[in-house]
Amino acid sequence: MTTRTHRRIRARWFGVAFILLWSLVPIYWTINTSLQTEAQAGSKPAHYVPPTPTMKNYTSLLGGSGGIPSQIRQSALNIVIECCAATIVTVVLSTLAAYAFARMSFRGRNVLFYAVLATMAFPAYTTLIPLYRIMSDFGLVNTYTGIVLVYVSGFLPLATWIMHNYMTGLPLAIEEAGLVDGASRMQILRYVMLPLALPGIISTAIITFLFSWTQFLFPLVLSTDLSTEPLTVVVQALQGQHIVPTTLLSAAGVIAIVVPAVIGLTLNRYIVNGLLAGSVK
Amino acid sequence: MSSSRLAATPVAAADTAPPAGGPLPRRRRRVDLLPYLLVAPLAIFIIGLALVPAGFTVIESFFRVDDVDPPTRFIGLGNFHRLLTDPTVQTAAVNTLVYVLIGVALSTVLGIVMAVTLQHKFLGRSVLIAILILPWALPGVVEGIVWSGIWDANTGLLNSVLSSLHLIDHYHVFLGQHRLLTIALIELVQVWQITPLSALLVLASLQNIPGDLYEAARLDGCSAWAAFRRVTLPLARPGIAVAMVQAVIATLNVFDQPFVLNGAARTASSVMVQTYFISFQNLDFGEGYALSLLITLVTLVLSYGVVKAVYRPVEF
Repeated sequence: MTTRTHRRIRARWFGVAFILLWSLVPIYWTINTSLQTEAQAGSKPAHYVPPTPTMKNYTSLLGGSGGIPSQIRQSALNIVIECCAATIVTVVLSTLAAYAFARMSFRGRNVLFYAVLATMAFPAYTTLIPLYRIMSDFGLVNTYTGIVLVYVSGFLPLATWIMHNYMTGLPLAIEEAGLVDGASRMQILRYVMLPLALPGIISTAIITFLFSWTQFLFPLVLSTDLSTEPLTVVVQALQGQHIVPTTLLSAAGVIAIVVPAVIGLTLNRYIVNGLLAGSVK
Repeated sequence: MSSSRLAATPVAAADTAPPAGGPLPRRRRRVDLLPYLLVAPLAIFIIGLALVPAGFTVIESFFRVDDVDPPTRFIGLGNFHRLLTDPTVQTAAVNTLVYVLIGVALSTVLGIVMAVTLQHKFLGRSVLIAILILPWALPGVVEGIVWSGIWDANTGLLNSVLSSLHLIDHYHVFLGQHRLLTIALIELVQVWQITPLSALLVLASLQNIPGDLYEAARLDGCSAWAAFRRVTLPLARPGIAVAMVQAVIATLNVFDQPFVLNGAARTASSVMVQTYFISFQNLDFGEGYALSLLITLVTLVLSYGVVKAVYRPVEF
């Protein structure tokens, strides 16, 4: 029996090592390359640790007034604005709707609820072309509004589903006490449901923010210049120019992943809870 | 805009409604407007920016829609016929099939391995979960750039490691030479992104399995492998099914990774990359609509097939 336990533990450490290497080696390699000079990165065999770590790639991407630094700075601002706006709108609208779905009965409730869920089964890109043409007809191509509207429409179903699952899991007793005491339903939402549902709201917000940050094809189509292009689009465009060295490109990649990576590493508890509430049921 | 017209009715009605009275619920003869007010914004978004556009995709795929050559006109199955006879689209369809097969198989197997690793509590498990989901949280295009540093023909990690181990005598160009290898390496990048969610979904199923089932299996003389095959796998089927469905949707619609690592080349182009080029480079929206519709239909059919084949309800 002890040998079996030993074997199980050995198998687990194999799994642990695999997860660590799988997740971290590619990111480590990018950081490693980003801290080297072009000549160092070109050596064979490669330097597995930067011989003389340099921040030159980062300063030339972020500092100065040239073309690339200003593109990086503007697109970083764009992605933050777009992600924050999409997150706020999605969280507010999904919370309101989820409250109605979870606690009120009204005509058409099930039809609407299933319509919302059904849209989750469709691949997001089904509506890529029509959304572009609608945005184009309304003059919303190349505006924050256009991009945020598309993000919100894409993320609302999952957000509503997560919030709905969270709210139906909350005890009814406190709300009923509130109703007996004469509170209106909006007061109950404000003072009872929102504090109780806060972990669910945080999960929804983080997941929406990360989904917005990872978008590429929609902003590629919906933004045609630097006024709205997010960091992901600009970094990819850098990669498309073959004159940009690997070292600089790696630094740009690190800049584009630092925010979602920190969120993922620190707030993973909320992400896991939200995703599982949204996926399995 | 139509949204303001839709929203105007309930808002105006709510303003004129008498304020909620005493503690006793009044008998309402009129319709309770609050729930409609709460779901109205969601409904407007879903109808206006999901259902109506999806309807456009279906209808306009039977039309010739070309902004350069107006007007829009009905051409029946013309778009579909042009698509199915276009060799570029045919290549992309075969490539995408390979993406799906590799991606679904690999993400499912790796997801199960990772979930089993995390099934029981141990010191550092929560840190490991944080590291596990990291690739899921990152943008696909940037992951393409991250992995291009590994596949690179001059500075790549893979070339360096293989030649240090004397497995190759000179640096190789891995991407764009051999079709199947290129697709496999690009799909590995997507597998990196989608496997964390697969692992979490399977893990959620595993954590519902009562520990005494393993105890019983052990008393019956089951080996660890037998317990895995006869207890873990069957009871994890709901989680595995959901994980496979998300992998099917992601891989059939793969765009970011081939766009970054393969560009416009036919070698490893996916149907979604073709949809992009057809619609936004050639501006042939009708054909783009038709291809989107086909991808969506295949996604739905394949997802349904996976659920039918893998999902079994589990009762404890």
